Amino acid sequence: MIDRRGLLSFGCAQCAVLAGGKAFAQAAEWLAPPRFQRPPLDTDEGGLWAFMDREEKRLRRSPFRMGDKALRDYLQGIACRLGADHCPDIRVYALRTPWFNASMAPNGMMQVWSGLMLRVDNEAQLASVIGHEIGHYLQRHAVERLRDAHSRSAFGMVLNIALGGVGALAQLALLAGQFGFTRDQEREADRIGVILMSKAGYDPHEAARVWANLRAEAMASGEDPAKRSVLFATHPDSGEREKTLAELASGRTGETGLEAWRTRIDPHLLMLLEDELHRGQFAETLVLLERLIGRDGENGRLLFARGEAYRLRAGEGDVGQAIANLEKAATLADAPAVVHRSLGLALQGEGAGERAVQAYRRYIELSPEGPDVEMIKTYIQGLQRS
Amino acid sequence: MKIHRLVLAACASILAACSNVAVVEHGDALVSDRLSVQIDQPWNRFENSAAGPIPTWTREGFTVDALQFFVAVKDGKPIAPARDKAKPMIFRDGMQAHEIVSLFENFYTQDGSTFRLDRLAPDSFLDGDGFRFEFTRLRKRDDVRLSGVGWAAVSGGELTAIVFTAPRIHFFGAEIGEVERLAGSARLR
Repeated sequence: MIDRRGLLSFGCAQCAVLAGGKAFAQAAEWLAPPRFQRPPLDTDEGGLWAFMDREEKRLRRSPFRMGDKALRDYLQGIACRLGADHCPDIRVYALRTPWFNASMAPNGMMQVWSGLMLRVDNEAQLASVIGHEIGHYLQRHAVERLRDAHSRSAFGMVLNIALGGVGALAQLALLAGQFGFTRDQEREADRIGVILMSKAGYDPHEAARVWANLRAEAMASGEDPAKRSVLFATHPDSGEREKTLAELASGRTGETGLEAWRTRIDPHLLMLLEDELHRGQFAETLVLLERLIGRDGENGRLLFARGEAYRLRAGEGDVGQAIANLEKAATLADAPAVVHRSLGLALQGEGAGERAVQAYRRYIELSPEGPDVEMIKTYIQGLQRS
Repeated sequence: MKIHRLVLAACASILAACSNVAVVEHGDALVSDRLSVQIDQPWNRFENSAAGPIPTWTREGFTVDALQFFVAVKDGKPIAPARDKAKPMIFRDGMQAHEIVSLFENFYTQDGSTFRLDRLAPDSFLDGDGFRFEFTRLRKRDDVRLSGVGWAAVSGGELTAIVFTAPRIHFFGAEIGEVERLAGSARLR
């Protein structure tokens, strides 16, 4: 299909708005390709699609797939808004995985990880990442990489032989290598992402803010986020990205979709926070929580998570911070019952036995069928004896 | 050159995975020179291998059923190496049962797997006071739902635990009786 309906271009009026925005003027020259046809199976690209089709079949059944239909429809809606005519070919899967990541395969399968969803502040920020991934897809970067990797194909054959029946593993290793995009490809995807955002009516300035937020987290652990994230391992330096994205967005405005995003993610917030704590990278988590609390205000779930981050890190002064956050969370309606158990543990560790007993009792009262009530009762007995 | 190095690394990994396997016959067995257990049927034992640095026994392969031993972990020491830059899973003498279970929760979720505590209650272990915890783990790498059970106790300031995980369908139910007997026989030397 070679019609031009899918062309994304900016009219003169828009260019006028961009007077002085050289970077964006260049970006606006980009035109989206028409929808892709499924490549023949006997081609390298066809093989890649077939492999990804199998992976997608697995993904559809994966218990890590977030099953909330409203969330799924919402994410698909964002992808369609950005992808325009390519919408029927893009399928978005939300996966429960607590790292910042998204990816898109050449067959149109897109994955968005829950760690990313926890970190974006609004719909526009999410759209910037989805738009970036659609940029890779529209430019067929994965296929480019496949064709650049003949030597790795030879390596894949060797690995297949070495590993006998686990050919899929070899294919995965090979593909993983191939999907590390070049920096130029990442820059191109950034540029296209901003074009798609702007065209769809999102505020493109939010793209740079994603990076500023990630960098603030990474600084807590002393590293550049580009070196930490699976998604951006091969991406340009985060400072460079922020600057470039801000330049590309210069002179443009649009909506952020803050309330729409809050409404959609709120039912999942506690689960995402608990998964975040499992990463065990508490310095980063505390920076993230500070930002979320600054954005949403103090609510029971965020204060619970911050209290847990301090309690589990257990560094100097952390227990006091944990108790302060957990005590406050315990007074708020949306805090989970386990906030009282965590408070009891923190207080018991500090030798505040009487207050610990009160917290444990409150936990049992709120969660009488809790899986650990028998154990909690032994703590209470022990504290009452001492 | 790069390809040769990668092939060599792959072969080394395969060999490493196979190099420390031994059969543990039925009867008395000693784990990490400190923990004695009685076993009904032979197990395959992996140590310092692809199964990780934790002594691991299995019948069907450690990606299927895995019986893991955390023996005499001293105050201030990790129960297992942490991944990436995650906080080390450090045991402290004086930790409550929940805090010890949190260490195992971190151990089993550091790859992105999920962990749900199904039960935690006092239980006898190492011929003294300990606790038993049961959990469900959804393993990230292959989407397999695993059931888990562990026993732990702190004796002389040292933490010892035995944890068994296996797919909920078939394997866990088939082996749990024997694992319970094994845990009940555990004694620290």
